[in-house]
Amino acid sequence: MFGYQNKVLRIDLTRKGTTMEPLNMGWAEKYIGGKGLAIKYLYEELKPGIDPLSPDNKLLLMSGPLTGTPVPCSGKLAVAAKSPATGTILDCSIGGHIALKVKYAGYDAIIFEGKLSKPGYVLIQNDKIEFKDAGDLWGKGSHEVEGILVEKYGHEASVLSIGPAGENLVTMSCINSDYYRQAGRGGIGAVMGSKNVKAIVVIGTGGVKVDKIVDVTNRLTEILRTDTTSDDNMFIYDCGTTAFLEACNDGGILPKNNFSDTTDEEWTKYNGDVLLASKVGKRGCGSCGLGCGNFIKIGDAVCEGPEYESIAVAGPNAGISDPESIVKANQVADDMGLDTISAGDTIIYAMEMTEKGIHDFGIKFGDKEKYIEYLKLMARREGVGADLALGVRALAAKYGGEDFAMHVKGLEYPQYEPRGSWGMSLAYAVSDRGACHMRAYAPNEEVFAASIPPYTAEGKGEMVYNLAIYNAVKFSMVICDFWPLSLERMTEIMTMITGKEWTEAEMNDVAKRVINIARAFNQREGFNRKDDTMPKRLANEALKSGAAAGQKIPQEAFEDMLDQYYAVLGWSKEGMVPDTILCQL
Amino acid sequence: MEVTISLRGHLIKQFGGEQERVVEVPENTTAEEALKLIGIDWRTARNFGFVAINSHKVLMTAQLKDGDQLKAYPKISGG
Repeated sequence: MFGYQNKVLRIDLTRKGTTMEPLNMGWAEKYIGGKGLAIKYLYEELKPGIDPLSPDNKLLLMSGPLTGTPVPCSGKLAVAAKSPATGTILDCSIGGHIALKVKYAGYDAIIFEGKLSKPGYVLIQNDKIEFKDAGDLWGKGSHEVEGILVEKYGHEASVLSIGPAGENLVTMSCINSDYYRQAGRGGIGAVMGSKNVKAIVVIGTGGVKVDKIVDVTNRLTEILRTDTTSDDNMFIYDCGTTAFLEACNDGGILPKNNFSDTTDEEWTKYNGDVLLASKVGKRGCGSCGLGCGNFIKIGDAVCEGPEYESIAVAGPNAGISDPESIVKANQVADDMGLDTISAGDTIIYAMEMTEKGIHDFGIKFGDKEKYIEYLKLMARREGVGADLALGVRALAAKYGGEDFAMHVKGLEYPQYEPRGSWGMSLAYAVSDRGACHMRAYAPNEEVFAASIPPYTAEGKGEMVYNLAIYNAVKFSMVICDFWPLSLERMTEIMTMITGKEWTEAEMNDVAKRVINIARAFNQREGFNRKDDTMPKRLANEALKSGAAAGQKIPQEAFEDMLDQYYAVLGWSKEGMVPDTILCQL
Repeated sequence: MEVTISLRGHLIKQFGGEQERVVEVPENTTAEEALKLIGIDWRTARNFGFVAINSHKVLMTAQLKDGDQLKAYPKISGG
């Protein structure tokens, strides 16, 4: 098939050796690339039960057949490993330009194995791989490290780096690239830190072969004009994900004060209009057609974004309405190498614990200076940060507050309140990496459209399944979330680029395989229905404010949704993938 | 009675690029009827999302009161 480099670079950090091998094209036909193919490789190569922070774990960078081509919104890279936060499979999607550099360096995938004997970074210049000392970089923030390495190797270099959080094996640490783009969740930064790898520098100067380049270019130009950049999608160019703030607030799913309620009366103090009035720059990822990135500068606080999730958690969910503080929190978290969602959720849990007098973490809702200070402490495991770096699940086990510990499988909750979108509670519960909004995005159907009633279990198993199928194939093609292209369009593009005739049925089969192999990985680690949970708060406490006031999700309704979802996938009542499916993966 | 109709996303084309207008509507007008008065039929409009009255999502059949703000959103996607 065209589009692939047919090459995997395997880097043995322990021996400081490298090998090249062909991409397993049989697997590529079944899983395409990105998310799906990364999980397949890890499923085959990781022994069950390994410690995610040991040299036995592998860090995998996986592109896809569209990466490096002019297909719009195809500039993302899957970064995968076993998660130290959850013990599940973990795949993240990072933007910027790193995906293109990996592909242009000649690789579909790069697999990091073992562990460096001391802190270092890996320099990949096409087929030349060098291991460099990072003694002078260790301890520095991600932004400074990237600046140093780009200065040293030039702007053709793309950098993946970790901050102090990753070095200190904080299980909510991320990997950064292009300063403000992240592989954010599940502690992927700690996996890199556990291997003593501070940074990965990639310079790629090759190309990608596609079928019928002239026809492809002409057709993609047409698709970019009529589909990708149609009026329906341009809100993301204009506003970035700040557009979600108002819609979530009005829809009753913008969480407030650690998910104790929704709908913030103060929201106009930090909404998209306010933030975008301080816009100082704009950019998109490589191959992007939409350009969602806005640089916001307020006072001395600056970041790209802030994205909806980062605004919501450091804003209303923390009882904070100061836009400068929200931008600063984003900037600090990125530089420290912390996932804004998990780190923020941990701080707001601590705020509620303190306010309720259960345990004094020294921070209450609205303490905006401490919010930022605590991020730094968490990244370095200093003072109260040593405790907070444990995350919500571990803190609840240690100090209490289980009723409002907002996580699934140890991954903290994203900022879409499920009591206003019941399907989201199911989506969080069955997501392959713990509570994640990127596996099936229920508000699309239940809140932002008039199509499906939000406050019922009826039909939600199939709804979440359909959303998960869509994302599974899209993220295996490694296409950005913000282009809502149809399955028909995805099929057309795959055929166009690879030169192999794909059908929509085959694409659906890929998606089902991806969902099943991710579940199979987790099943092999001991996960089953007992781990597909909903925080108690959602069943026990009704919302008081907003469009969803009065709503809570009865536990039996949640269990009903789980039953529906398992049934659609052909899984057992315990949520287990049967042998008849396992043998086909 | 007067209500403010506020449009989001590509729907603002209906107001020639303006985000909102004050509109005179009959008593007991529903959200659906108010939008029809400005030329938006949510059932046929491309990529229509939802409506909110005074920043609370409501059904299209919800009735407006004097001074209310009616917001109409296109469907947005992402995360």
